[in-house]
Amino acid sequence: MGNLSTKIIAAITAILIFISLYLIFGYARTEGTMLEVQKIFYYHVSAALTVFVAFGVNCVFSIKYLIQRRPNDDLLAVAAAELGVIFCTVALLSGPIWARYAWNTWWNWEARLTSTLVLWLMYIGYFILRSALEGDKRGVYSAVLGIIAYLDVPIVYYAVDIWQGGLHPDRGTKWSLEATMRYTWMVALLALIMLFTFLLIIRYRMKKTEARYERLQQKYLEETSG
Amino acid sequence: MKILILASFLVVLVLFIFATQVPVDITSDKVSGAVSEAISQSEVPVDEEVVEQAVISSIEILEKAQRTRLKYLAAAYIVIWLVFMLYVLRLGQQQQALDKRLAQLEDTSVTVASNQ
Repeated sequence: MGNLSTKIIAAITAILIFISLYLIFGYARTEGTMLEVQKIFYYHVSAALTVFVAFGVNCVFSIKYLIQRRPNDDLLAVAAAELGVIFCTVALLSGPIWARYAWNTWWNWEARLTSTLVLWLMYIGYFILRSALEGDKRGVYSAVLGIIAYLDVPIVYYAVDIWQGGLHPDRGTKWSLEATMRYTWMVALLALIMLFTFLLIIRYRMKKTEARYERLQQKYLEETSG
Repeated sequence: MKILILASFLVVLVLFIFATQVPVDITSDKVSGAVSEAISQSEVPVDEEVVEQAVISSIEILEKAQRTRLKYLAAAYIVIWLVFMLYVLRLGQQQQALDKRLAQLEDTSVTVASNQ
């Protein structure tokens, strides 16, 4: 992807972020029960859904790497996993602030919270595994772990249906929101997905440069020792 | 990108300060005026001072609750933006370190080539 395309994506991301913030604080109706605190929803839920996209990209390129063994697929998978962890951290940190007000507790071991924490821990494990291995082994083992970890995503998504009686609202709640709230949430979701796309391009390029540096260094060492 | 994230963080704060501020212009004088008007319209005899005190207390309770809610809202958005900012700053540092290593490698290989 060229520099111009990246700049266009960056500009769209910036505009969408500003619009979403304006909509959240200046347009969306304040919800009747939780009042202002409900406005955390827009970025919290959007970050959580972006996590699914990020880990989805990781899963797809992990499978592709296992089939074709192209190093660039591995690099893209890693970049997506890293961003998935960042967005998951955002969801896991903003959630408890909301929970403290809504449920009167910072944390509750209910199904969705627990499965999200497990998801986060699995991808932390993914990076620990990568740092412990080298060469082709690193790519293959981490790709397998990435695919296995992704199996937790549907569990997180359907947790409220599988284990009913949890504190999280039903999956369909966001679609039944009042119109101004629904549009605002959709713009916020789009903004975060664009932010993810932009950061993914940047991170992937950096990963490629790092890989090129390692190859050059290897070549240089071989030449000087030979 | 750093500027973008920093700017958006500032926008969050500015929007937060301006847009979530409910215009509180209910002064004691206005409360007294409204209570007097309501009592004058009422057919039931009531103690104006007691009612006025009750209304003022209610307003204070509501304002305190709103301040608490706004604190939660601000905390959440600050945390969200802090995570993104720290990540982008880390990316910037990594990029700088990588550029430095590449330049060093380039310099070394040029020196070696010229010696040979």
